[in-house]
Amino acid sequence: MSSFTEIVPKLIDATTEIFTGMVMMDISTAGEPVQELGPLKDTITGMVGLAGIHKGLVAVHFPYEVALAITSSFLGMDVDEVNEDVQDAVGEIANMLGGNVKTLLSDRGRDIELSLPSTISGEEYNFSSQEQVDQVILPFKAPAGVFHVELELER
Amino acid sequence: MSAVVAVPYLTDEETVVQLDRFIIDATTEVFASMIFMDLVPGDVVGDGSVDLDVAISSMIGLAGDLKGLLAVHCPRQVALAVSGAMLGMEMKDLDDDVKDALGEIANMVAGGLKTSLVTAGSSVELAIPTTVVGNSIRTSGFSGASTLVVPFRVPDGTFAVELNYVLG
Repeated sequence: MSSFTEIVPKLIDATTEIFTGMVMMDISTAGEPVQELGPLKDTITGMVGLAGIHKGLVAVHFPYEVALAITSSFLGMDVDEVNEDVQDAVGEIANMLGGNVKTLLSDRGRDIELSLPSTISGEEYNFSSQEQVDQVILPFKAPAGVFHVELELER
Repeated sequence: MSAVVAVPYLTDEETVVQLDRFIIDATTEVFASMIFMDLVPGDVVGDGSVDLDVAISSMIGLAGDLKGLLAVHCPRQVALAVSGAMLGMEMKDLDDDVKDALGEIANMVAGGLKTSLVTAGSSVELAIPTTVVGNSIRTSGFSGASTLVVPFRVPDGTFAVELNYVLG
């Protein structure tokens, strides 16, 4: 499990880099890892699976306002509804985070592949993984609000 | 089996024919071995146009020669009935037991799909299942990917298995 704890600071760095470099948005961590998120409201989740010797999931949960701000920044134009562009942007962020996690874990000699990114969005939903998982949920603060990055790895 | 061509080399049409067959076989197998409920596969559709009031979706990623996401989408009554049949008890709410059961179903259907793909010469690994419960949830796959949806009818209604995928 020590390798899981080591990943957390690297995951924080990876998230910050993606936002600074690709989304052109300053973010910072917003406190300690969260135990669980509870119902997600007016939120869009991007996720990508990790498969291979180690199995897991990387998910990023953005409240709509944050997702709109991110997509507007990505596209260089104002986006005011959660449409396909937003789904693509959110999926792409999840994909990039997944790629970083894959590299982090692969560097330690683990053979991992990514699945395809997908998104879920809605007025209210609960998001939960089965299996015996090690899970970490990291809060971040963007100008438009707080969002969370979630990493789950099968034990 | 020696006549079967590896999935990445099939034409798109042949791929769709094989994949929906694999999904039907995998789902039928799961129901026959674990759920003991009558299951009737419907016609495959190539997009999200199966009209269901989805209350719960269980999803699992696939990676390798085929990359994608397999999702099992159920209306509330179907989820309660199917998980109840699997667990041998009456389910009243979309609680953790129902979510776990649906997640396990997605895992097993994806596992069956993986086995068929491996037999056909493709290497595929599974990620971990996730379940989402909510009202009016929208899911979207990768925009550059293909989608197939297979509806299945059970006594309590219809559910759908969706595969969003990219080959190679």
